[in-house]
Amino acid sequence: MPRIACLAAHSFSLAARLRAEPELRGESLAILHRDGTMERVAAASRPARRAGVRPGLTLPQARALLPDLVVRHRDPICERAAQEALLEAAEGFSPRVEDAGEGVAYLDLEGLDRHFPGGSFELDLGRSLLAAAAAVGLPARAGIGGSKLAARVAADLPDSPVVVPAGGEAAFLAPLSLDRLTPPAELDATLRVWGVRVVGDFARLPEDDVADRLGRAGRELHAAARGIDPRPLIPREPPPTLQEGMELEWALTALEPFLFVGRGALERLCQRLESRGLACARLQLDLRLDPEGHLTRTLDLPAPLRDPKALLTLVRLDLEAHPPQAPAVGFTFTAHPGRLRETQLSLFGPAALSPDQLAATLGRLAAIVGPDRVGSPGLVDGFLPERFALDTYAPPAPPEAPCEPRGGSGRFTVRVVRPAVEVEVITGAGEIPIEVRSESSRGPRIQGRVRTASGPWELEEGWWGEGAAEREYWDVELSDQGIYRLFREPESGTWFADGIYD
Amino acid sequence: MRSRAVAAVKDSAAALERLRPLMPQPLRIHLHSARELGAKRTEETDDRPLATGLPLDRLLEGGLPRGRMVEVVGGRSSGRFAAALAVLAAVTGAGEAAALVDLGDGLDPESAAELGIDLARLLWVRPANLPQALASAEALVGGGFPAVVVDLGSPPVRGRNAEAPWLRLARAARAHGCALWIGSPYRISGTAAAAVLRMERTSPAWDQDGACRLLAGITSEVVLEKLRGQGVRRTETLQLRLEDPRVRLGIAPSERSNDEEEILRSATG
Repeated sequence: MPRIACLAAHSFSLAARLRAEPELRGESLAILHRDGTMERVAAASRPARRAGVRPGLTLPQARALLPDLVVRHRDPICERAAQEALLEAAEGFSPRVEDAGEGVAYLDLEGLDRHFPGGSFELDLGRSLLAAAAAVGLPARAGIGGSKLAARVAADLPDSPVVVPAGGEAAFLAPLSLDRLTPPAELDATLRVWGVRVVGDFARLPEDDVADRLGRAGRELHAAARGIDPRPLIPREPPPTLQEGMELEWALTALEPFLFVGRGALERLCQRLESRGLACARLQLDLRLDPEGHLTRTLDLPAPLRDPKALLTLVRLDLEAHPPQAPAVGFTFTAHPGRLRETQLSLFGPAALSPDQLAATLGRLAAIVGPDRVGSPGLVDGFLPERFALDTYAPPAPPEAPCEPRGGSGRFTVRVVRPAVEVEVITGAGEIPIEVRSESSRGPRIQGRVRTASGPWELEEGWWGEGAAEREYWDVELSDQGIYRLFREPESGTWFADGIYD
Repeated sequence: MRSRAVAAVKDSAAALERLRPLMPQPLRIHLHSARELGAKRTEETDDRPLATGLPLDRLLEGGLPRGRMVEVVGGRSSGRFAAALAVLAAVTGAGEAAALVDLGDGLDPESAAELGIDLARLLWVRPANLPQALASAEALVGGGFPAVVVDLGSPPVRGRNAEAPWLRLARAARAHGCALWIGSPYRISGTAAAAVLRMERTSPAWDQDGACRLLAGITSEVVLEKLRGQGVRRTETLQLRLEDPRVRLGIAPSERSNDEEEILRSATG
C-alpha cells in the first residue's frame, strides 16, 4: 500500500505574489484574474477578507468595500517560480515528487520512515514539510494518505498536517462535505436535489445504480467517495535550470528601480541554489519590453557563485553597457547551475580559501574590474613580451605539510608597458639612441637623455603568417632615473617603449 | 567502561605520533597531547610573518607581517616591482594563495614564473583606476586571501586618492589577518600603513661581454621609515640581478650570426 503526502500552498496565487513581493505582507491585497472582459478577485489577503473582499468579486465591487485595496494581477512567471520552489522543498525529502500544478506537490513516502525514527513518522514528516515550505516563503498545508485523493483532501483541512491512517481512507472521507471531492457542477446540482451532502451518504449508494443514473463521472466520483483513487504518482524530472522573475505592474525605464525588484528575485534564486547545494555558473536575464520585444543577456561567471550582491552588480554593469531600447514590463533570471569548487583542507599546511567565499570574491572582482580582467596569469607560446593569457582562477589544494618559504630570488624584472607606448627617439652615430621622448599622454611619461644603451637585440616572430613582428630591442638608462626597454620596428622606423626595468 | 576510556586515550596518542612528522617544527616539539592541537596550531601558524627571503625581512623583523599594511614607495627602476614579485613568489611557493592588484598592468607571466611565482596560486586583477584597485583589494582581503599585493604602477597613479579607503583597507587587513603590500611611486596611504619602506636605486650595473654591454641589475637602498606607527630609520641594501637579455628574448648567444655580432659591437661601442 503506497503512502503519499500532499503539500499544498494555501491561496497559491496570493502566496506566490507575496513570496515575490514580501513587502506586501500585512497589506489588504487582492489578486485579480481576467474573466472575459471583467477582472475578478482570485484571492485576497486576510486583512482584505476581513473587510469582505472575497474571490469572485469584480474589481469595482472589491474597491467599493475597501478603497485602499492593493491590487496585483496573477503572474504566471512568479507562480511558476513559486511552484518550482515548492517542488524543490518537497524534493528535499523524497526523490519521487509529482508536480500537480497550482501550488500542489505529491511525494512518495516509500523508504522515508528510517529518516524519522520517532514513533510518529508521518506526523513528523508532515511538520518538516510545512517548515520547508515556509522556509521558501510559501505557507502550506500537508496531508498524508494512501492515495493522492486522500492526501489532497487531508491537505485542505485545518490543523495541518493531517494523517489518514492506512486503509482508513473511506472512513476519513465519510463525514466530510461532498464539496471536498470537487464534483463537476452538473453532478453537484443533481446530488443536492437528491439531498446528498456528505461523502459517506454518497458512498453508501449502490455503485451500479449510481453508474446507471450519473454515468461515468458519477461512477468515478463514487469510487473517490469510497477512498479509491487509481491514479499513480508520476514523478517529475527536475528542470536543468532555475528561474525567478515577475511581470511588472508598471513599465520600468530606469535601471535603479529594476535592480531593486531584481535583487529580490536574485536572492530567491540564490536561496534555491543553496538548498540544492548548487551555485550559478551562468546567469541569463530575459527582459520583456514594452510594447513588444525581448532583450536577452547572458553572463558567464568567472566561477560558480551564489552571492546575490555580486550577481546584481554584474547585472548592473552588463545593463549599463547594453541598455534595453524600450521600457521593461517583465523579467526572468535563469540560473544555469554548477557545482561549487571543492578543496581538500589541510590540517597542518596553509589554510585553503573557502570555495564558496572564493567564488563570491571572483564574482565581486569581475563586477568591479570586468570579467576579462581577473584570473590566473597564463603562459603563451612566443617571444613577444606583451603576450599573456588569463585563465580561470582555481588554485590547487595547499600542501599537507607547511613548506618552508623559498628565499627570494633577488632578480630584477621588467614592468611591462601594455600596450607599448610610441616614443620619439633621437639617434646618434651607429643608430644608437641618445634621447627619448614619449609623445602620447597615454601610459607613463618617458623623457630624458640616454646615459647608457645596450642593443640592438633582434626579435622576429610569426613571419610565416599574419601578425608578423620584427623588432630591434634596446635597453636604455635615461636621465629621468628610469631604465627602459625600447624597440624599433625596422619596417616603419617607429620606436616604442614596452617595458620599464623595476 | 574505564578500560574503553584508557583504550581511546592510547589510540589518540598513537594517532598523534603518526601525525607528528607532518607537523611544523615548533608544533612537533611543543605538542604534548591531541587535546592541545587546536590551540597550539593557531598559535604557531597565524602570527608568523611571511618571509620574503629578501633583506626587507630584516627591516620588517622577520617578513611581511600578517594583518598589517606595508607601504613600499619607490620611483622608476627602484626594484619595487621586483620586490613585490619576490613577496608573491615566497607566498605562493609556501603553498598559499596570493593576489596581485596590478594597476599598472605590468605583470609579465613568463617573468613571474621565472621568478618562482606559482601562477596557479596567483590571482591577477587588472583594475583600470585607483578606486577600482582599492575596491578589488578590499574584496580580496575580505575574501580570505592571506597575502595581497597592490601595485599602483608608474606615475601618474590613475584616479583620485583619499585617505579613508586606505584606512578601511588597513582595518580589513587587520580583521582578516591578511598581509597587505602596497607598492606606490609616492606616499599614498597616509597614516593607514603600519610600516613604510622607501626604495631608492643607487646605480645600475652593466656587464661587458666582450664588445657587448649588458644590463646586469641594480643596487637599491631600502629605508625603513615607519614601523608599528613609530618613525624609525634603518637601511638595507638590496641587490637585484637580471637574466641575460639574450636568453630573455629567446636569442641564445650561440645563435647570433656574424652580422649580429658586428651590429652589437658597433652599437655598444
